[in-house]
Formats: sequence, C-alpha cells, structure tokens
Amino acid sequence: MSLARRLALQQSRTRVALRPAQSQGSIIARQFLARSLSTSSARLYAQHTPDHDHAHPPASASSSADLDVNPYKGQASAVDKAVHLFFFTEILRGMWIVMEQIFRPPYTIMYPFEKGPLSPRFRGEHALRRYPSGEERCIACKLCEAICPAQAITIESEARADGSRRTTKYDIDMTKCIYCGFCQEACPVDAIVETQHYEYSTETREELLYNKEKLLANGDRAEAEIAANLQADHAYR
Amino acid sequence: MVSLSRYIRNVRRIGLREWFRAMQYGIGDAKSGTLVGSDQFGNRYFENLNAEEEIPGRHRWVDYRQNDFNGSQVPPEWHSWLTHIRKDPPTQDPVVQSSTPAWKAPYIENLTGTRGAYRSYNTAAPKIKAWEPTVSGRR
Repeated sequence: MSLARRLALQQSRTRVALRPAQSQGSIIARQFLARSLSTSSARLYAQHTPDHDHAHPPASASSSADLDVNPYKGQASAVDKAVHLFFFTEILRGMWIVMEQIFRPPYTIMYPFEKGPLSPRFRGEHALRRYPSGEERCIACKLCEAICPAQAITIESEARADGSRRTTKYDIDMTKCIYCGFCQEACPVDAIVETQHYEYSTETREELLYNKEKLLANGDRAEAEIAANLQADHAYR
Repeated sequence: MVSLSRYIRNVRRIGLREWFRAMQYGIGDAKSGTLVGSDQFGNRYFENLNAEEEIPGRHRWVDYRQNDFNGSQVPPEWHSWLTHIRKDPPTQDPVVQSSTPAWKAPYIENLTGTRGAYRSYNTAAPKIKAWEPTVSGRR
C-alpha cells in the first residue's frame, strides 16, 4: 500500500471517528490531526481570513459543515489557474515590469560632467595641511605611521634650525593605502587629512608613491575645500 | 523627463550653438539651467533645481572649457559644489571664502601620462654615504 493511500485512509478513519465528538477539546484535536495528515490545506488554517471570527463560538454549530471545507472557495478556479500556467502570464507580467523601465528616465549620472554626491567625510587622496600662517602642521609625532594598518606611511624627522621638530620624509605609498582614515583620526594637529579628491589615477605605479612635497602641494591646492569640510563636520568630531 | 519634448525645449532654450557644443564636446545631452558661475579655467557650472526638468542627482553639471576634458579639471572648491558637498557655489559660500588662505597654490589637473606627471623622489638626505675612493697624489 502506498504512503498516500495509507494517509488518505487514515484521514478518513479519523474523520469518521471524530465526527460524533462535540466538545471544544475534540475540535482542537481534530484540527491537529487533520493538519498533520492533510497534504495541502495546512495553510488554510494559518491564513487569517477576514470572515474569521476570533471570538470562537462554542462548537455547537454543525461540525459536519466545518469538515467539508472547500479550499477553492472564493479563489480562482482550476481552469483559471491552468490558463495562467499555460500562457506563462507570470513571466509576461515580470517582463512587462522590465519593459516599463524603458519608458522611464534613466538614473545614469553623466560623469565627468555630473558627479555623484559625496560626504564631507569622504576619504580620498591624502594631503598635508598648513596653519593659516603658512607653517606646516605636521610635528612628526608618527602617530599616523603607528596606526596605519597597511603600513603605508613612512616618516623621518629632524630638528629644524629653529629647534622645532619637523619631518624630513613623509611618504605615503598610495598603492598600499586602504583609505581607512585612521591617519587623519590619529593626527593631533589635523595635519594629515584625506581630501574629497579622487581623480588622481596614474599611468605608472611610481606616481602613486607620494612624498612630502606632493602631499603638501595637495594641501596647498585644496585648503579651502578641506577647511570647509572640517568646519561642516566639526560638530560631530 | 527624458523625452523628445524635453530635448527640443532644452535645445530651444540653450540655442543651437550651445547644443552643438554639448553634443560634440560635452555631456551629449541637451540640458538647460542657470549658469551658476565659472572657475579660473573657464569651466562653466550650471544648475537646474526644477525636479520636473532634471532628475535630482543630475541637477548640477559642468561644461569643461577644454575639448580634451577630464574629471580632474574641476578645481577643489567647485569640486565640492559639483559633488553636492557644499550647497552654495564657492563664489557665494562664506565658509569657503573665509577659509581660503593667502598661500593657496594654483590648481593643477591630473597630469599623468604627460611630461608634467609627478615623479616620486626622496626628500630626506641619504643616511648611507658610499665610499668614494680618492687617490693620493704622487710624491
């Protein structure tokens, strides 16, 4: 005897056995049994139907009517379903949604004429800043070098003629840099920053080995933008 | 928004000359908006805040002076306006105006691939001095 046939027999047997029972507990037991044995209509009980009464009136109502639940009541007929299946209407509806996009305006941003929005916290090309007097900010504390997870920064320092400590070498290997922004967070004097400039792609690798002069030149060009970004963000730092 | 009527309307607004320039050397689309300003290189910056005419996100654009344009020709102040970091253009932005130092260097575009490209060099004095043999003179 196949499993399906055995199940069907068992189901009919439980129905017959439970039909005379009228109490609330027996209904629950019946539903549980029916749910565990029926193959298709389990969702019928889980779904909330608008005509379902939550008050659960006592089971004095005809329980035989409850047993003959028509699972297709108020739904599409089997013929309708077959038609939709046969003519691939779901696929056609999906294709229609795709085709609607042809008539909608594209969201393409026409770079480099239009550029996507950036944050003032965007981490792009590095720059070394100066004080408004023109004195370079970096005091060679090497915190950025210490915190750099990619070890992209190399610093050497010496005392200057006036006794202040400055870097003689501040190299950033931009091919190593992962643009995490730890260097600008570690910097106590806001000397090293990451600017919003990202269009510095190069043809050769060695052009990306930035030294101190290059970084200072970056800062000298972009100081207005850097200062405006820091001003916009200072309330959250 | 992107439609034939929009295209014709924008061509009528900007004129055939501007339209030809936009199609030949520029954005490849007929866009009309208010001229917000131009930078020291002659690039012109436009804005159209009417969401019926331009999709938000495409409402600020630049017309490069050079026919051989690239994205790095925008100077930093206008770059922050073009990428929507600053609301006001740098000619009107008080923060950008006040934070422009006297020692600000002229902006140079990305010169990679040309003779003006940056070449890395060592800024520190070498710590190792090679031995240079000197021959003592004959007596």
